Amino acid sequence: MTTSIQHLIEEARLSARALFDFGESLFNPTLRLGVTGLSRAGKTVFITALIHGLTRGGRFPVFEALATGRIGRAHLAPQPDDGVPRFAYESHLQSLIGERHWPSSTVDISELRLVIDYQRQNGADRTLTLDIVDYPGEWLLDLPLLTKSYAQWATESLALSRAAPRVHLAQDWHAHLATLRPEAAQDEQATLIAAKLFTDYLRACRDERFAMSLLPPGRFLMPGNLAHSPALTFAPLDVSGDGTAPEGSLWAMMVRRYEAYKDIVVRPFFRDHFARLDRQIVLVDALAAFNAGPEALHDLEAALAGILDCFRIGRGTLLSTLFRPRIDRILFAATKADHLHHASHDRLEAVLRRAVSRAAARAENTGAAIDVVALAAVRATREATVAKGRDKLPSLLGTPAPGESANGEIFDGNTEVATFPGDLPADPEELFRDDAFRGLSSAAADSSDFRFLRFRPPLLDRDGIDEPALPHIRFDRALQFLIGDRLQ
Amino acid sequence: MSERPKQRRPATFRLDDPSVVVVDAEDASRPARGAIQVTPESDPALLPVVIEPPVIRRRGFRWGTLFWTATAGLVLMGAGLGVTHLIEDLFARSESLGYVGLGFAATATLALAVVIGREAFGLARLGTIEKLHLRAAEVLASDDRAASRAVVNDLLELAHQNPQLAHARAALQGHAGDIIDGADMIRLAERELMTPLDREARRLVSAAAQRVSIVTAVSPRALIDVLFVLVASLRLIRQLAYLYGGRPGTLGMIALLRHVIAHLAITGGVAASDSLIQQMLGHGVAAKLSQRLGEGFLNGLLTARLGLAAIEVTRPLPFTALPQPALADLAKDLLRKKEEEE
Repeated sequence: MTTSIQHLIEEARLSARALFDFGESLFNPTLRLGVTGLSRAGKTVFITALIHGLTRGGRFPVFEALATGRIGRAHLAPQPDDGVPRFAYESHLQSLIGERHWPSSTVDISELRLVIDYQRQNGADRTLTLDIVDYPGEWLLDLPLLTKSYAQWATESLALSRAAPRVHLAQDWHAHLATLRPEAAQDEQATLIAAKLFTDYLRACRDERFAMSLLPPGRFLMPGNLAHSPALTFAPLDVSGDGTAPEGSLWAMMVRRYEAYKDIVVRPFFRDHFARLDRQIVLVDALAAFNAGPEALHDLEAALAGILDCFRIGRGTLLSTLFRPRIDRILFAATKADHLHHASHDRLEAVLRRAVSRAAARAENTGAAIDVVALAAVRATREATVAKGRDKLPSLLGTPAPGESANGEIFDGNTEVATFPGDLPADPEELFRDDAFRGLSSAAADSSDFRFLRFRPPLLDRDGIDEPALPHIRFDRALQFLIGDRLQ
Repeated sequence: MSERPKQRRPATFRLDDPSVVVVDAEDASRPARGAIQVTPESDPALLPVVIEPPVIRRRGFRWGTLFWTATAGLVLMGAGLGVTHLIEDLFARSESLGYVGLGFAATATLALAVVIGREAFGLARLGTIEKLHLRAAEVLASDDRAASRAVVNDLLELAHQNPQLAHARAALQGHAGDIIDGADMIRLAERELMTPLDREARRLVSAAAQRVSIVTAVSPRALIDVLFVLVASLRLIRQLAYLYGGRPGTLGMIALLRHVIAHLAITGGVAASDSLIQQMLGHGVAAKLSQRLGEGFLNGLLTARLGLAAIEVTRPLPFTALPQPALADLAKDLLRKKEEEE
């Protein structure tokens, strides 16, 4: 009963907000672009490249409005929410172009507003405001929790942690879990230890060798300003779904904190940033999963399906625009396409299409436009052919990031290499079978089937005093799909 | 991994390794034995891209259309009123006369409805082709695979009405499942479906041009010239539209004619400056022989020019994979045929 009332209140709040936004956008057309992606998918780089490309004018032949010169200028404007930090565009750009390293991983939410002055095709002067939000990708994993009870979540988490390859990483936590009885009196110390061990297990799963994606709750990995608060101090217990928690028990405390976590963390995050999106791009780093192994790929698939179920997707109608905004265009993007020869981009797209097929089918049924693309917001490599004996390998030239290793050699970040990352199969189904390929999680580094090195950002020449345009792959196509129709 | 023997292992080579040689793409010398040769590929993304500005479509409220709609409504109502009065009068005079009048009126209404339906169908058809042309041009720029499949499907549907294209359609459908990039798919469709049609179109245009040039060379009066050129041009445009899948009625023809003339106005200047003048100077032998013959030749060239514009307007795909027929080719046809006949 309480949950349905809560749900109603939540819906009413969302509708009120939507109505307010609608009134505002009558005078000032605004597009909320949701840049969605798990951690390390490249959200920050995407946003930086987007702002740089629009404000400076990039090489975007397919992005019609910019290519034909109808965009007069684009500039940054003060953001609408005063309580949210500003997206540190300048420092991200400096680290990309000046220092040639990727922006460090995002630890807190940030926001930016971009105003585009353009002329419509019939000549009328118009302005489009683009609101973009950056946030840690880990937090996205919380969204599926909104519809789950504590018992459901605990059962699922335990089941996941008992499957290979996670079970090895979860040994310490499992050992501690075996000493806990859910019906015992509540015990702060035991809870603290359980939460710490659980967090350690989640963190270990995220290691490059395993590259697991489905690791809720996200704030455990990236706590932001809530570290050590009770709302972040809980862990799954071995409870059955049908029992109820006795008053004052450890179980009841966990349930309370789990609900508090949803109320304090997840719901406001969803309400403020995801319930109001107009367009969405889902960035997926499939290459890390290829490096790690088939389990990582399955995990990625499950995580994406869970997240995409939370969004409101569908063709917008007048009523829906007023009270329940919907996402009417979704672009699924396989990022880091520059780590792969262009001849394999189609195959990468096919893999992504397969991984998001369920979400994509759902989106298509509701009338939303969807597309799948392999892109690189900032292109770090050049392509080359390596002739070794009789083989001709379609390869990439670039500078690997410091600490990357291949053939047992660790690079210092200054050597240029040519690398052939491995062939993707023509049929994406082949990758989704169990034991389809060997990754770092199950094999030694030199016998895995794929090796995608991480490259440093490209070395760019300044032309005059201007900042150089960032090279990219199909970034313009993504822009055309996402905002092109609003700039006609 | 035994079931996938073609799987190649990942490999990484340092460029400063002594056994690795970096060579230019032009320099295709054989590498030394055991050496690893790295050839950087030219980057297609860095080539300059030509962007055609999109045709600015008129948006906003169409007062002209509103005017014509309202006027047509008034005229229709007036006619209806007149006919009603007439039938009433006929009934007043004699009942049998009234029934005959009623029958005529009903037949006329039915015929009018059918004519209007056909016109609307023809206009919609032309609109579809025009949109297909635009969409294909967009796909050529964006290389979007899904959009290219949609364009090709629509194209196949359009081509279904032309039995000559059965073989080409089958060939194209055979490629439908292959992994082909968007722009390449459009080029493939153009090569398969448009080749026979383009040949036919070229034949139609040169035949019409030839007819015009002969008739205007021998006709006794200027008025006959003008009438003949008009009729021949309209016929040519209609034939071309039918060839490429359109079914224009009267209104459709008016719309097409407007497009063709607009197209001529845009491209005409360019054509006049290069090819036409060249043609006049180069092949102007005929004009030296006789003034009438020269006039005839010029009229033929103009008809050919109109035909080319009509091809551009009625063709459902832009010219990319296939060469666009040039005035020079048609002028050659014109002269050759003349010489054959003479």
